[in-house]
Formats: sequence, C-alpha cells, structure tokens
Amino acid sequence: MNTSLRTKLAVTAGRLAAATSRTLGRGEGMVVGGKVTLRISPHALADLAGDRVAALVSATNGKTSTTRLLATAASQAGPVATQSTGANMTEGVLWALANGPANGPAILEVDEAYLPRVLAATRPKVVLLANLSRDQLDRMSEVAMLARKWRRMLAENPDVVVVANADDPIVAFAAEKAQQIIWVAAGQEWTADSSVCPECGTLLSRDGTDWSCSGCGRARPKTSWQFEWEKTGTAVGPDGQRYDLASLQLPGRFNASNATMALAVCAELGLDLAKAVTLMSTVTSVSGRFATVVAGSLRIRLLLAKNPAGWSELLDIMPPAPTPVIIIINSNDADGRDPSWLWDVPFERLKGRTVIASGNRRRDLAVRLLHAGVDAVVIEDPFAADAVLPAGTRNLAVIDCAATYTAFQKLRDPSNEELAL
Amino acid sequence: MKKSPIRIVSIYPTLLGTYGDGGNVAALSHIASLHGLPVDILTISPGMMIPDDADIYVMGGGEDTAQVAAANALRASGALTRAVDNGASVLAICAGYQLLGHEFPDADGNAAPGLGLLDVFTDRLPKRAVGELAAEPIRAGLTSVTQMLTGYENHGGATHLGAGVIPLALVTSGVGNGDGTEGAITGQVIGTYLHGPCLVRNPLLAETLLGWAIGQHLDPIVEDAVEELRRERLGSANMGK
Repeated sequence: MNTSLRTKLAVTAGRLAAATSRTLGRGEGMVVGGKVTLRISPHALADLAGDRVAALVSATNGKTSTTRLLATAASQAGPVATQSTGANMTEGVLWALANGPANGPAILEVDEAYLPRVLAATRPKVVLLANLSRDQLDRMSEVAMLARKWRRMLAENPDVVVVANADDPIVAFAAEKAQQIIWVAAGQEWTADSSVCPECGTLLSRDGTDWSCSGCGRARPKTSWQFEWEKTGTAVGPDGQRYDLASLQLPGRFNASNATMALAVCAELGLDLAKAVTLMSTVTSVSGRFATVVAGSLRIRLLLAKNPAGWSELLDIMPPAPTPVIIIINSNDADGRDPSWLWDVPFERLKGRTVIASGNRRRDLAVRLLHAGVDAVVIEDPFAADAVLPAGTRNLAVIDCAATYTAFQKLRDPSNEELAL
Repeated sequence: MKKSPIRIVSIYPTLLGTYGDGGNVAALSHIASLHGLPVDILTISPGMMIPDDADIYVMGGGEDTAQVAAANALRASGALTRAVDNGASVLAICAGYQLLGHEFPDADGNAAPGLGLLDVFTDRLPKRAVGELAAEPIRAGLTSVTQMLTGYENHGGATHLGAGVIPLALVTSGVGNGDGTEGAITGQVIGTYLHGPCLVRNPLLAETLLGWAIGQHLDPIVEDAVEELRRERLGSANMGK
C-alpha cells in the first residue's frame, strides 16, 4: 500500500471516528478523528500538506485571530484550508488539511510547543512568529526554552520564509538565524518575559520599542514593516505604502497589530494587499472571540483571557468603570493548572466597578481582586436566572465576559459564528 | 511598637517573578495595612543598588538564565548578606530559594554558585515537580505558623538540607525538597518551593515576617475570602494524593 492511499483510508477512518464522537455528544470529534488518522497513517500530516501549505502562524497570544485574518485575506485567490476552531495541535492541523478544500492553499495556526514538528512535516512557504510570553507554565516549556526550540527548527528548515515581530526580543532571538526574514515592528505591550537576553542572560536595555543587549551585542533588527497605533491602526509596508486598518471590526490595538503581521505574510504570498485589508475587515469574531452571545439570562461579549500578556491588552477594550464585568477563571488542563498568573495581571485597572467572579478558581480571583482593591462578588453561575448580580447588571444591553479557555469554550455558541471561508 | 514604615525590598522582580510571585509583596503590603502597619516598598531592578538596612527582602521564582544572572548580581553586591547580618528577614521562592543555597544547577545542568545564606544545595530531581503542594509546618520551628502550608510547585530542583538549616515543613502532598521535607529556614531566612503566591495563601507566614520586622508577635487577622481559598486548595491537594 502506498502512503497516500493509506492516508486516504486513514482519513476516512478518522472521519468515522469523529462522527461517532459527535453522535455521542463528545464535542466536534476533531481530536479523536485526527488521532485515528495518525494511528493508521503516521505520515498523514506530510501527505495531506503536500506543497500547499502557504503559512503557519504561531505565538503565545493572538494566533487564532491572526490565522483567521490571514486566511480570510488569502481567500481572495480561492478557498483556503484552515481551522474553524482554535484546535492547533497536531490533530487539529491534520483535521483542517483533511477536511478543507482539497487543493487550495492552507493557512494554519499551530500551538507554539508543537510548531517544530508540524513545520517539519508540512513545509510551509511562510511561518509567522508573533510573540512569546508566559502561559500555562505547568505544560509549556519556559519561554526561553521554547525560543531555543524554534531557533533549532529554523536552522533545520532553511527554506521557510519567516515573518517575525522584531519588537519581541524572544521572538527575534528565535527567528534571527533563518535564511529569509521579514521583520515587522508589531509592538510589544507585555515586556516582563523578555527582560533578559535569551542568549546570554544580560538585562536588555530598552528605549521605547528599541532594545539591545550589552552582553552579546544583539539588538532589535531593522524592520521592513511598521505598525502604528493612534486609536486605530495603520500598517506601513517596506515601500512606505500605508494601509489604513480603521475598518477592522476586531477590537483593540493587538488585533490591528495581528493584521499588520498578516499583511506582511500576504505580501510574501503575492496577494493583493488592498484586497487583503478589505477582506480582513469582514471578520467580526474569531471562533467566539469578541462575539456577542446569549448565556442564560445575560447577553455577553465573550473575551478569551488566559495569561497576563493577553489580559493587559483586554483591560484596554473593556468599557470604563463603573460598568460591571464578568471574569471566569478555570484551571482545567487546557487552561493551565496553576492560576498564580492572576497576580501578574494589573487588575487594579478595574477599580471603581464590581467584578462578578466565577469559574472553578473564583476564590483565587476573589483574593486577587481583594488585594487589588477591586470590589467583587463571587457567584458560581452568574448566568442563572436567579443569580444575585450587582445593581444595574441586568440593565446592560451587553456585558463583557472574560474567560479562560475551557470556560470560554463552554460559553461560545458555534451556531452564531461564521465557519467556512 | 515600631512606628516608622516597615521597609520591604522586592529583589529583581524582572528576573525572579515568573510565577506570580509579585503577589508576595502585594500580600505583605495588604496584610500590614490590616494591622495598621505602614510599609515602604522598594523594587530593585538589576543594576540598582540594594540597600542593606531594610527589614524584609523578597525574591520569587524565575527561569534558568535569569536565575544565574540574579545570583551573580547578588553575589557581586553582597548587600543581601550584610542585610541578614543586620537582622533582616528574607523570603525566597523556588529559583530564589535555590540561589540562597551554596549551589544550584544552571540551564545546562552545571552547578552555579549561590549566596550560601542557607546551608542547602540543589541538584536535579529525576522528574519535574508540578502541582499542588501541601505541607505541615515544623511545630518546634522558627516561624509562628501553625496551620498547614498550601501552594503550587513547578520546579526541577532537588534541594538537600545541611546541618545549618531546618526544614520549613513536612510534605503531606506534592514533592517539595524531594526528600519529604519542604523549604528551609535558618534564623529569619526562609526558602520555599511554594508559589501560589505563598504569602497570599499562607497569611500566617506574612504575619511572621511582619512580626519579626516590628519585634512583636502579631495576632492573626483572618479574611474570609482567603480562608475559603485555603480550604479549597488544601482539599484539592488532599484529593490529588
């Protein structure tokens, strides 16, 4: 049996397993389907990828949104294979390739720890590396260790074009040895995980976005793409061409930065950049992120907030005090087992309002907010019709609800969302 | 009672603060205010002078390269050693704990020199210790902590205690030092693997440190939200056994 026939059979078996899993109400079946496929055909990922993988996207934060922006922009040339959910480990990548348009290009998000093996198997034209910071320290390597793995990966795969954020020193260290690099000045709000040089341990000197290491001479690379932010974003290409990102519907500075990096990838893929911006502006929510959904007796804007770097961006887009917000903190496997990171989030910025604290780690959150001087009520199920909520909450048309991954997944309503491209 | 502010020094949080350990300084400040004690918090970045006349010094955990950088800077400064000689107390977590000892493993597994303020040395555990950690304080110990200690550990270090220290506690769930003990203490210098953050989940330990600073025992002040968190975490550590 040749490998590709084997893979075809494996995919069929995987689909069957996924359908069974769905029928049994155990979720979308993607992970099970992917596992079955890989068990039968261990090279299925490389087989399905062929030479059609246009880009992989990885980062600690924003990879699902960036992938959706990029895949939507790339759909100008025809249908694109990409994830419809945030499933970004080997099985999720495989599933998107097996079930997307058969011959179209693929644009895929990849978990940062899985990136080396997925990149080696799928041989993308471009890999987008956006940021690295602390996240799920019980599962992930420490940040510098992850960067060293990426660095080795790029040394072993010299043909891939790297689009990398020059403002994140850890990403720059990971990317700098690649043969072809497009550096983007995409910004870095959270600097606490890049205070020392990942190579020599010297404290980095910083001046605005510029950074350098006095120990080994490493410095922020010269960038060809720039990102500017003043209430709305602008991307500036290598030729000085400006792309106004004010029409983006995804909120916040970080999404405009994600769009700038996606645009730099579009340029490498030979796409029309003006069309790319227009298409990216049609994206309203990404696998539930920023979507307005009905949860029990409330209408909520759903925000995914799972680590300090992501939080420091999200606090900016919440409505000002005294508007209450809901925060749900879980510590299931997919959230990371240890929510100590709550102490790295500047929750003091929520002062002047009441936070509704929920999730299986609501007590950790309540103590964190107590120390931050933020009023909180601890409620196991804030969406219950008889939940006692802070005054005024039920009068809000929509209330912001920031949740860790498993709580977020439970609240999102896939039927409300755009799926196929 | 001492009326001038208690001086608390947060040492290199940019290097040693990966696991939310900044919460320890926040907890000291919060609990001091419950007792009506003013505090003065000084945050030290690498390159800044470390005072040797403060009351409480706090260090957190961090990654390997940052840990070596912090240890080198502290050894070169000598201020922490002088401060301890002056009667200051120290709370050091995880990587901070390890670097208070004689030596600890660097990113390549080679022994790097520590400060020698605790008579311990650290090498590697066969398997990384990750999870809830609960430990019973040593009854005849040097702190006034009588309740179970609770926290979260995430480290690859096996810490071996010499004759100059006693353990802080005995592990009831989790790994700790690796030999059934958790942490080490001598005089007013404490090292521990408890993240969580440590002083948030164990306010009695914060009250011990603050009491040392003012030279007077502090009667514990109990906060409901903290007690509920402690009960939940200790219950969860028990279930994980």
